[in-house]
Amino acid sequence: MDFLSQTYIALRGPTGAPQTASETITKLSDRLSPGTLLADRRAAVLSLKGLTRDWKEDVGENALPGLLEVLQNDAEIDPDIGKAALETLNTLCEVDENTKDLALRHTEYVLAKEQPTHTLFALLGNSNFYIRYATIQLLTTLLQNRRQVVQGYFLKAPSGASSVIAVLEDKREIIQNESIALIQSLISQSPDIQKVLAFEGAFEKLFHTVTQENGVEGGIVSQDALKCVDGLLRFNTSNQSYFRETTLPSSLCSLLQFPPNLQIQDPVPQEFSLQFWDQQKLINVSLVIGIMGMLISSKGNSAPDSSVFVRCFTELALSSNAPTPLKTQALRLLPDNLTFPLSGVILTPYMPVPETNGEEWDRLEPASALDVLVELAVHGEYNGLYRDKRTTESLELRSAAATVFENFVNKEEIRQAIVQGMAPSEATNIPSISPLLYALCLPPSSPINFANVTSTHFATLLFAQLLSSSSRSKTLARSIKPHTAVPTTPAQGQFFVPADGPLREGAEVEDEDDDDSPQSLLHLFNENLSLAFLSRSRMESNDQEAREWDKLIIAYLCLLSQWLWTDPKAVREFLDTGGLGVLVEPINQTTDAESLIPGLCAFLLGICYEFNRQPGEITRATIHPIINRLGVDMLVGQMNRLREDDRFKAVGPTSIVLPYPTAISLRSGTTAPSETEGEIWFDWAFVDFWKSNQYTIQRGLGTDPNAMSPSAGASAESAMLISSLRDVIRSQAQELEEMQQKIGEASAWETKLSELQAQVSQMEARLVQTDEKIKNLRRSKRTCWYCWMRSAPSERRIRRGLGRLGLMFLRMRGMKKRMKKRKKIRTIYHCLSWSMC
Amino acid sequence: MSGITWHYVLKFIITGDAAVGKSSLLVRLTDQRFLTNPDPTLGVEFGSKLIEIPEEGKIVKLQCWDTAGTESFRSITRSYYRGAAGCLLVYDVTSRASFTNARSWLADVREHADPHLTCILVGNKVDLCEAEDGTSNGRREVSTAEGELWAKEDDLLFVEASAKSGVNVEIAFEQASRDILDKIKRGVFDDDRSPGVKLSKPANSNLNIDQGSTRPTCCS
Repeated sequence: MDFLSQTYIALRGPTGAPQTASETITKLSDRLSPGTLLADRRAAVLSLKGLTRDWKEDVGENALPGLLEVLQNDAEIDPDIGKAALETLNTLCEVDENTKDLALRHTEYVLAKEQPTHTLFALLGNSNFYIRYATIQLLTTLLQNRRQVVQGYFLKAPSGASSVIAVLEDKREIIQNESIALIQSLISQSPDIQKVLAFEGAFEKLFHTVTQENGVEGGIVSQDALKCVDGLLRFNTSNQSYFRETTLPSSLCSLLQFPPNLQIQDPVPQEFSLQFWDQQKLINVSLVIGIMGMLISSKGNSAPDSSVFVRCFTELALSSNAPTPLKTQALRLLPDNLTFPLSGVILTPYMPVPETNGEEWDRLEPASALDVLVELAVHGEYNGLYRDKRTTESLELRSAAATVFENFVNKEEIRQAIVQGMAPSEATNIPSISPLLYALCLPPSSPINFANVTSTHFATLLFAQLLSSSSRSKTLARSIKPHTAVPTTPAQGQFFVPADGPLREGAEVEDEDDDDSPQSLLHLFNENLSLAFLSRSRMESNDQEAREWDKLIIAYLCLLSQWLWTDPKAVREFLDTGGLGVLVEPINQTTDAESLIPGLCAFLLGICYEFNRQPGEITRATIHPIINRLGVDMLVGQMNRLREDDRFKAVGPTSIVLPYPTAISLRSGTTAPSETEGEIWFDWAFVDFWKSNQYTIQRGLGTDPNAMSPSAGASAESAMLISSLRDVIRSQAQELEEMQQKIGEASAWETKLSELQAQVSQMEARLVQTDEKIKNLRRSKRTCWYCWMRSAPSERRIRRGLGRLGLMFLRMRGMKKRMKKRKKIRTIYHCLSWSMC
Repeated sequence: MSGITWHYVLKFIITGDAAVGKSSLLVRLTDQRFLTNPDPTLGVEFGSKLIEIPEEGKIVKLQCWDTAGTESFRSITRSYYRGAAGCLLVYDVTSRASFTNARSWLADVREHADPHLTCILVGNKVDLCEAEDGTSNGRREVSTAEGELWAKEDDLLFVEASAKSGVNVEIAFEQASRDILDKIKRGVFDDDRSPGVKLSKPANSNLNIDQGSTRPTCCS
């Protein structure tokens, strides 16, 4: 009763005259002073709370200091007054359309000193539901209005971080949800607060919340909690390295049903690949893979969990039934310097069973991730099941796949291996026709098949990436002979082709010009290109179809430009198969409507002129007059016109899909495509290529046919490099020559030596022979002697003679000794032998 | 995801005056290298390291928060004390001022941190004392005895170390960890009470990490 009568008196005023609101507010504000009884203060706050809605300015002007005082002194003790004071303050500070300035003024007053904010953080620790709830609300409001000031106070608050984390743990759902919202704005753009909260265990608490909310299947709470985790990690390397130290990265995988310790050879479980999806889950999963992507990219990809993340992304994008935007996101998050063995990982892709509304899924044959990636780019999702619909979403996915392919083939040896795989191998003589090559060689059909154009277009993008700035790949590509392969491919087993596809038709086209020698790829492109030009010229009436022909022509021209650049042999082949005529005609017949094709033709013509350095029928001297007749200025103008085209200018490194212009389809009156339909014209690689080389070509057009091209797009620096390398090569060649000469000399010496050796051995042999002869002679001499000696008649004669002689001697001198006599006989014998001879 | 196991996770903070070598100590611990010309730390940086305490047969994961020593960050630094299990209070043996100021840092720690926090006093940069012409006292301004005495008075562990040469750096962290493990054994910490100590598998968390792997990976 006391309370009521007092309030009544206060409202009625002493005199009983009707009171104005401002008088009442002043009175009530006076009662907020600590001198008044608690019950009175409580009554005053409650009354003020009621008045705030309509008399915001008056209440703010008079009651703010008192309210802050109450907050500091009474809120902790008396929950009722605390709740009322907090709510009043919140109403005063909350911004609505009409009272923005006023609310900001009140906010500034509350935040003028740090004490009230510190009190608020202390009140967060209060277990009373209403106090906690109202405090969170007021803090959120203050953060919305003046975030940086509150953040500054928070860092100095004695128990700021721990009480905020404590609120996260609150079992009451409303408080938990509100606290997540509070943290979201509290951590925004403040690395210090992010770190403090991480230190206090915010990650664990937030993941706890997510798990409680049923993970990614959960609703908005899961979403907000994941957003908080994202906010704590993004742009904060310290927190990222802390986060990696915890067990939470693997929980991220678990949230997606992906086994965190999956080995590279293991298949992924079906519950990962096939899941039920709704809009909320898409948002949640998108947040999860966003966090995972951040952890990969900030780390390089050496660590083991990074490769698990990469695998998870690959599977999500290539084999699962996840919604298209998620697949695109997963592919985009793969690191640029992809070292993941795409060709070594075997995937099991799934495909929806038609007309089951996504409830039944077929498992396809396992295939390598690289094959599936190429399929995805060339044919679209689910093996080209929806290839007729060219929604922006699906084109984004396909272009993301093309970008991943580009990153993957960045390594020269991978490129060559892939191109080599398309070239006919000598062993089997059956060229393996890859889906990429197949789509690349799809002959243009009339009426045009939109899906095939897109496939061929993507195939040219991928193929250009294989060739660009790799002369070895270009050389290999020249040996690809797809002619035999295209018609003989029934295409049933290897890849999906719609039953009513133009394949058989295409085969007939191939059969018509039935020359048995297999066509090279360049020749085939050239033919397709002229065929497309021909069909395009008949299409003036149908804008939509003409647009598709334009796309096809541009796809071929872009690929050819990148191929022929710095490849004189390819230029030669292109010109020999009649490329010049194909190019010149469209340059000559300019229509106002189309600015891309003449520009591209002029560019390609310039490339042909610049790199026509191989001897052949059509020389630079042949092309020069053609260029002059067309006019260099005109050609340059065409190229500049292309640069100004929106379809060229709008292409960025990550966005190549453009919205399909609905105006055209409306004008043509054909079936209006849905709004989300998109189209592609160029990829970034080509735009980049064009921008860096246009000037070289432009300059090259004006040069004399006999002038050697000193600069093949070389800047001064690279020219210097080249010349220095040339010098090195020259000196090395010289050295080599010298060496060879020396080697020649040395070998000459060697032959001489061996000759000499032979001579020596001959001599030796001869020597031996002579020795032998000599010996023989001696022997024969001796034998002669013995023979002679022993030959009977002579012996007798000798003996006789000797006898006679002996007698003579005996007689004449009377010799005494036998020995002496014999000696004498020998000498006599000599005399005798002499005389006998 | 990799199967690293540890028995405890201990949160450490490194604190002390500016330019006494706190960040260098941490980098020496985690990367085994020496920062020749580090920038002053802004706010707080994180680093972590697994160490083994052989006599306990435990592997401990150290999570270290390296704080800024500059005065302007002091209020931010204070937020970290409460959650830590261990504290490296660092001073520079060649700077008397840093030793004197260490008392105020300790006061801060005592005021904000858990009462059972283990604090180790680390005299850094001892390499500078021995470098000069063989005399052992070179540029030293704070003697070992002095440091030891203060540590004893205030019930701190004590070690002299050098982030440059790496001497005693790991030992400092090991000593502190050993002390904390000892406190755990004696039951000083309740499981929930000290935020700086965690068992490897938190019992109160529903996040079952192995969930994915234990589930039958049927994909028929």
